[in-house]
Formats: sequence, C-alpha cells, structure tokens
Amino acid sequence: MKKLFLIFLFVAAAAVDANRVRAQALVIANPKVKSTEVSKSDLREVFTGTASSFKDGSNVIPVLLKGGAVNDEFLAAYVGKPDGAFKASWRSLVFSGQASMPKTVESDAAMVTYVAETPGAVGYIGKTAPHDGVKVLAVK
Amino acid sequence: MKRVVAILAVSLAGALPAVSQSLEDLNIQIHGFATQGFLYSTNNDIMTTNSTSGSAGWTEAVMNVSAQPTPKLRVGVQAHYLLLGSFSDKILIDWAQADYKFNDRFGVRVGKVKTPWGLMNDVEDLDPAYLWVILPQSVYNITDRESYLSHFGGVVYGKLKLSPKLGKVEYFGWGGDDVYTPDDGAFLTQTIAGYTVPNGIQGTMYGGALHWRTPLRGLMLGASDVTTGNWTGQVNDNNDSVLGTETLAKDSTPSYFAQYEKDKVMVAYEYTRNWSADSVQIPGYPDVSRSLSGRTDPREWYAMASYKVTPKLTTGAYFSSDIDRQAPLGPPRDSLDWALSGRYDFNQFMYLKAEQHFVAGTQDYFESVLDMTTLKPHTQITALKIGVNF
Repeated sequence: MKKLFLIFLFVAAAAVDANRVRAQALVIANPKVKSTEVSKSDLREVFTGTASSFKDGSNVIPVLLKGGAVNDEFLAAYVGKPDGAFKASWRSLVFSGQASMPKTVESDAAMVTYVAETPGAVGYIGKTAPHDGVKVLAVK
Repeated sequence: MKRVVAILAVSLAGALPAVSQSLEDLNIQIHGFATQGFLYSTNNDIMTTNSTSGSAGWTEAVMNVSAQPTPKLRVGVQAHYLLLGSFSDKILIDWAQADYKFNDRFGVRVGKVKTPWGLMNDVEDLDPAYLWVILPQSVYNITDRESYLSHFGGVVYGKLKLSPKLGKVEYFGWGGDDVYTPDDGAFLTQTIAGYTVPNGIQGTMYGGALHWRTPLRGLMLGASDVTTGNWTGQVNDNNDSVLGTETLAKDSTPSYFAQYEKDKVMVAYEYTRNWSADSVQIPGYPDVSRSLSGRTDPREWYAMASYKVTPKLTTGAYFSSDIDRQAPLGPPRDSLDWALSGRYDFNQFMYLKAEQHFVAGTQDYFESVLDMTTLKPHTQITALKIGVNF
C-alpha cells in the first residue's frame, strides 16, 4: 500500500510538473478583447482558423510566433499539433480560399507590440516576458 | 474568363477605400506550391501518361494572391497549372473571389468559388493538403475534377454551436453556373473518338453540405449533395463541322462521409453515387450516337487511415471501390484499388510522397481508352511526388 501511495505521489508530481512546463506560454490579448479568460477549445478553434470569435462575441485575430520553444509549447498545449503540421493545416485553408495566413512575429517583444496595437489580436509569449499594454487571458 | 475578371474588378473596387492604407494594412499575401510526380505502372498506361515506361508527365503549380482590407473581408485569386500526360497542359483560375464573414455563424463567398462538396472536393487539387499521391479515384477522379472543383456563383457558410452534448454543425450552401470547358475530362472519350464539344457545356447547379462536429472530439459526420440540370452543348467533328448535340441529363450526386482525426491518427470513409446519363445526338448516325451516349450508375466509396509515425513521417493506406451498376460484367465495370502511402516532410516547405497501388479492374485510371477490352485486368502503380510550398 505504501509503495502504491509513493507511486501515486510520483505520478501526480510528474503531472503537475508537466502542466507547469505547458503553462510557460502566456496567452495575451488586445485590451479591447472583452474576455479575461478563454476555454482551451475556443483557443484551439481560433488558432486553427475554424472560429474568429470568442464566446463573448469578441472578434479575435490570432497572431503567431515564428518558432522557438514558446511557440512549440503553445501549440502542444492548446492546438495539439507540431509546428510543421500546424502551418500545413493553415496553408490548406489558404489554398482552398477559406483563410489568410495569420500574422507571424519574430519575438515576444514584437508580439506584445503588435497585440497591444491591433484590436482583437490574440497571441502568446513566454511567461516571464514583459507584457505592458496587453491583457493576460486565463485558459480554463 | 471575362466573368472572372469582372468579378475581381468589382471586388477590388470594393476594397478601393483601403488603397490609401499601407500594403501591410491590406495584409496582401502571396502563396504557392509546385509538385513534380513520377508514375510507373505494370500492364496498362494510366491517366493518359506512358506510365508503363515510367512517366514524369505530372507537374502542378499554384500561385495565390490575396488581400484582407478589413478583418471581415478577404479578396483573392488562385491560378493552377496542370500538366498530366496528354490530358492537360494548361493554366486555370482555381478560384477568384470576395469573401465576407459577418461572424462565425454566417459568411458569403462570391466569384469563382471552390465547391465544398464531399469530404475532400475543396482540397482535391491541393497536393500539400494531404498524405496521398493519388486520391481515391473512385470519388476524386483526376481527369474529371476540373468541372467539380469550383463554380461561378456563391457559397454561404457558417458554424452553429448546438450544445456541449450535441457539438457543432457547419453548413455550406451553394449555387451558380458549372462550366465544362471543351477540353474537360468529361469529353475525353469523345475527343479521342474524333469529336469535339467546341463551346463546352455549362448550366445551373446548386447544392449543400452539413458537417456535424460531434461531442466526441475529432469525429465529424457529414453529408452533401449537388444537383445539376439538363445541359446541352454542340458536337462537332475534327473539321469543325457541326454534327449534333450532347446533353448531360439532370442528376444529383449525394455523398456521405465520416472522419476521425485526433493526435496522430486519421480515419475516414466516404460513399457517393453519381448516376448520370449522357446523350449524344448526331442526326443520320444512330450507331455513332449510341456509341457515344450512355448511362452510368457508379457506386463509389473508400476507406482510409493514416498514422503520424514521427513529426516528419506519416504513413497510411486506403481501399477504394468503384462499381458501375450500368456497365456490362467484366473488368471495365469496376475498379478496386489498394494503396499504401508515406509522406516525409523535410520542413514546413518541402515534402516527398511515395505510394504503391494494387488495382483490380479498369473502371478508373483509363478514361482515355476507347476499347477497354485491350486493357489487362490488373495494374500495379508506383507513384512518387516531391512538393514545395510557401
């Protein structure tokens, strides 16, 4: 019984740790976006091009990081695809006339600047990156 | 073509107030892809190529320009070049449209627009979008696809959230003119027999589709149908003398499909029935008229599955069945096609596909052959394709 309990503690600790790794990406939005929180499914739909608004009716525009660890963590946590497959799925929408490629920025700083200046913009940055001028969305 | 230019002109004129904005504000984007295929087959040449000797006669290229002057309005045009054996060596306008999305529940596209029929019709000619080198020819026949890919008119679309327990429904409705150009694959047999349809055939069509995104994440069930009217065109001989008329009878093409896609796995199934009657009337030549006319009633379906082995490597297989219930018994009545496939994505811009087919029957792949009895009943096909996209 003791062994089982220790194994359970170990697995639980690993799960918490994994969640902490996934939470390194901070989801940010333009201050004019009404929501302060967003569901994972809403976020996934916006970033895969199948929706252009949140539940509160705010029209939102996804903004992507060009690459890197934060980009990979965000896609793994909220979209469920690696970067190559994610970009390929957007190109399918582009080539079939259903969407334009989302804006892509080079860095956390560029992301914050663009999201702050663009009504409806939603993006993501590293958890420790400065983010003055944008609001942070809690993902539930 | 003139209609496309006119529609584009109207769309761009609507965007004129935004001209004073910078190009970046207009979100002008240019994208494209190019592919080079290689085909080898045993026993029979396929898809109008010399595949029994090995053929590199399959090249495609696409260029796409779009602008988004406002968050809800997109305009764009896509041109598509296809070289395939002796069947095609031309550039077409894939789509040229203005798209206004009022909200997630309702949007409108007008112009030359993709027709969202079936599971894959709107991506059928977009090679980077899927694993396969050759899509199941039972449903997505490559020499017939030109007239099915898009139409002149409009599409309304949207997504309705039902409830957490019922999921969401995506809907599409469309209508307009469908155009079979004189060199459309539908007239391939007549062309080889020495007849032409010099003005093509066109007419009104309409259809709809529903995709139910079920509460089970990744599972989609769908149905669609498209209906055409009686369309008639002129038939000439090779000296351009008028011989008579060809009429494509009114028909509908329902499709039922399901797809499950989650994490590394994709499974899909589609069934369609395309009952049609083609009547060629050449006064004074009843035998020729009869030989060029015909009813078909193909029952077509495929089942496919794929698995992402690594982030760069995807493998899959499908079985495709096409049986024409109106055809006499024998190999030309059906086509049963097993395919094994792999795709390697070097990076987000370049990929390589390899595929092996085992085909029994000659209903598919041999549209250019007048005398089907000359074909051997079994064919193996090796298909390779390299693609770049940006």
